[in-house]
Amino acid sequence: MGYVAVKGGTQAIEASIDRLKYDRLKGNEIVEINTILATMRNLVDQVMSEASLYAPFLAALAIKQAGGSMEEAVFLMRAHRSTLPRSYYSETVEVEEMFVERRVSASFKDIPGGQLLGATNDYTHRLLDFSLVEETLEENKQWLSDYQKELEKIEASEVHYFPKVVDYLRAEGLFDTYPLDNTSPKDVTKESIQFPTGRSERLQVLTRGQTGAVTALGYASLRGYGQVHPTIGEVRVGDVPIHVKHPYEKNQDEEDNFYIGEIKVTEVESFVPVPVKKTNGNEELEFDIGYGISFGQNETKAIAMSILDQCLESPHGEFPTHDEEFVLLHIDSVEATGFISHLKLPHYVTFQSKLDSIRQVKKGGKVDAD
Amino acid sequence: MKRKQRTEILIQDGGSLAEELASTITANYNYLEIIKPQYGMTMIKMRETAKKSLFYLGEVLITESKVEIEQTIGIGIVIGMEKELAKHLAIIDAAYRADLPETKDWDTQLIEKGKQITAQRAKEQAELFRSKVNFETMEV
Repeated sequence: MGYVAVKGGTQAIEASIDRLKYDRLKGNEIVEINTILATMRNLVDQVMSEASLYAPFLAALAIKQAGGSMEEAVFLMRAHRSTLPRSYYSETVEVEEMFVERRVSASFKDIPGGQLLGATNDYTHRLLDFSLVEETLEENKQWLSDYQKELEKIEASEVHYFPKVVDYLRAEGLFDTYPLDNTSPKDVTKESIQFPTGRSERLQVLTRGQTGAVTALGYASLRGYGQVHPTIGEVRVGDVPIHVKHPYEKNQDEEDNFYIGEIKVTEVESFVPVPVKKTNGNEELEFDIGYGISFGQNETKAIAMSILDQCLESPHGEFPTHDEEFVLLHIDSVEATGFISHLKLPHYVTFQSKLDSIRQVKKGGKVDAD
Repeated sequence: MKRKQRTEILIQDGGSLAEELASTITANYNYLEIIKPQYGMTMIKMRETAKKSLFYLGEVLITESKVEIEQTIGIGIVIGMEKELAKHLAIIDAAYRADLPETKDWDTQLIEKGKQITAQRAKEQAELFRSKVNFETMEV
């Protein structure tokens, strides 16, 4: 039985959309885009990361329009992205150029440059702060003024750029070194992935994955549904500069590129112990590196990505988290939520055909007694 | 001054110097907007640090503008929704490419602004250094 076109729901749909607007407006409150940008930084970062479009203002607008629904906000951003021209490709971003605002290591207490906690919830009490119910702008201004007065005394003349912890270990010969691999990456937004995938495709799919899905699968690997249990070598959060080449000028040197601004990212390297069989037949422990990165500050996702990166670098039939098809085809927010939520849309014909089959079987008396 | 350094200073400044410099050009020359400031995207190419390979991180929203001054095209590109700044950057780019006499005095201004921005960023980072961990080994 084929699909049939039906009509008759137009008025109901229009009324439903009015009802959606009514629900957003009936509280007689307006949340300004700037309020979302100023106070819901992590939410904005998460929407940008899952949408794979770095645009804080648009992400805040999407959150407002979606009434706070993550999946809807990401869907809106992806849809908007499809209306925009891709004008440029950036020059290769090197994270050593990051303006670091947070950087910690779980592997070493003494890392070159030191550990910088920056802004984090990690050391806060997870108790509801009821003073926020009565928060006033005046009080906040006073707190900011006092804080800035304290900072006035601090002096500095130059910006520090932090070396990577892993480079320090490579220099000691403890980790493998790799030459720069300048193979052009594949772009999963231009060409659907085919299995087996390349590393560039895996990293692109993982970094745009849904935070909850990436975290859940990373966690599953730790719990025994995978073989990767890392120690975090370095988590860093900060702004990296983006440069593009001039589209027409020939014989450009790097200094003729355009600087176009900065984006905030979270980057993680996790160290994964791997037993390696040596030529003498003995097994020795070595370390591989799992890599994770996310737009904005989203450390849990970036750490989980680093676990899954390492899982997918070493395929293993026994564990789903080491199966690239299982991981890569189920972590995209729009694909997963879209497919699940489409189940509530009309399936009258397909369901009726199934009912018809059951009725036919019952009429023929071929149903099992139990 | 080369484009990379110049655009970095003008963008990190936030727009006021770009507006000031562009206005000295628009006061003396006609300009044609080839592409009015419009939104687009730039795909970000990253190098990962585990195996040193390249991949695409995702796209960033940009505003782009193109202008023509004295038969020379200038381009302005900036992350975000920054129509005025993109236009001013394009005018300044065209002025440099056309080697207009006004640009001769700009380098000093730009270098001075660059120093201010560096000092400001260094201070901002030093403020973050208050959250640097000072480990003490405990006696057991």
